[in-house]
Amino acid sequence: MSTEEVHNRIPMLRAERGISRKELAAALGVHYQTIGYLERGEYSPSLYLALRIAEYFEVPLEVVFSLKPFPRLGSETK
Amino acid sequence: MTDDRRPSWRISQAEAVQMDILPGWYATRARRRRLAALGAVAVALLWVDVVPAWTAERDDTPWPFFALLGISTVLALPTISLLNVATRGVTALAEKQLDERQVAERLRATALAHRVMHGVLASLAVALLTAGVLVPDEIDVPASAALMTLIALFMTNMMAPLLISAWRLPDPPPDDEDEDSRTVPGAAQRVGGKTAT
Repeated sequence: MSTEEVHNRIPMLRAERGISRKELAAALGVHYQTIGYLERGEYSPSLYLALRIAEYFEVPLEVVFSLKPFPRLGSETK
Repeated sequence: MTDDRRPSWRISQAEAVQMDILPGWYATRARRRRLAALGAVAVALLWVDVVPAWTAERDDTPWPFFALLGISTVLALPTISLLNVATRGVTALAEKQLDERQVAERLRATALAHRVMHGVLASLAVALLTAGVLVPDEIDVPASAALMTLIALFMTNMMAPLLISAWRLPDPPPDDEDEDSRTVPGAAQRVGGKTAT
């Protein structure tokens, strides 16, 4: 298994919009456990799936995925 | 006729592996690995059965071989069923019924199983060549021995991807319902309809 880690904000986006894993999985046409593995960082999506996730949440790709850990909310405010 | 029935059979199969039958048997990684080990024992019993089948005299009664075959089948059938549910049919369903993660997992499992089969076939070849050297006289191969070897090879080839997939499978994420009763990951970072940066 690849050790390359891709960080994502799927749990936050999902919680923000009140969408369950099963609903997101159904919208994307994947198994609901795949959403869970994505959220836990145990699976990195293909570019196609990543783009579809970003499209679903109507945000740019880099808002959902990053090669570096996302900063905690409020950590950048002065 | 067959074409008409195949899709519904595939749908039934896909639905069957989504049903949690006896979840206590495969809910955790340790339990899935125990089940996978039980499946490996079922396959190993077949190989144990092969040895006496090759050394048996032609007049020997074959019932002990069939007894071991029966025990192996009794072990293998429920194990295969439970592991297919545990892995959600990763190695059993048609590829178009799987998503990209499941297809990737199936590819890894079949690649590893392919290596295992290489090892099994190489070991079998070495055993046969050694037997040929040690017993230079003409070897009288009983039909039951050839049959048992074929059955053992077939079952090993069939079960290896499933056992490997079940062995590798990490614990699945909890269902939303379970999770909602605790906390939703990221919910603490909720910020009034905006995506935080």
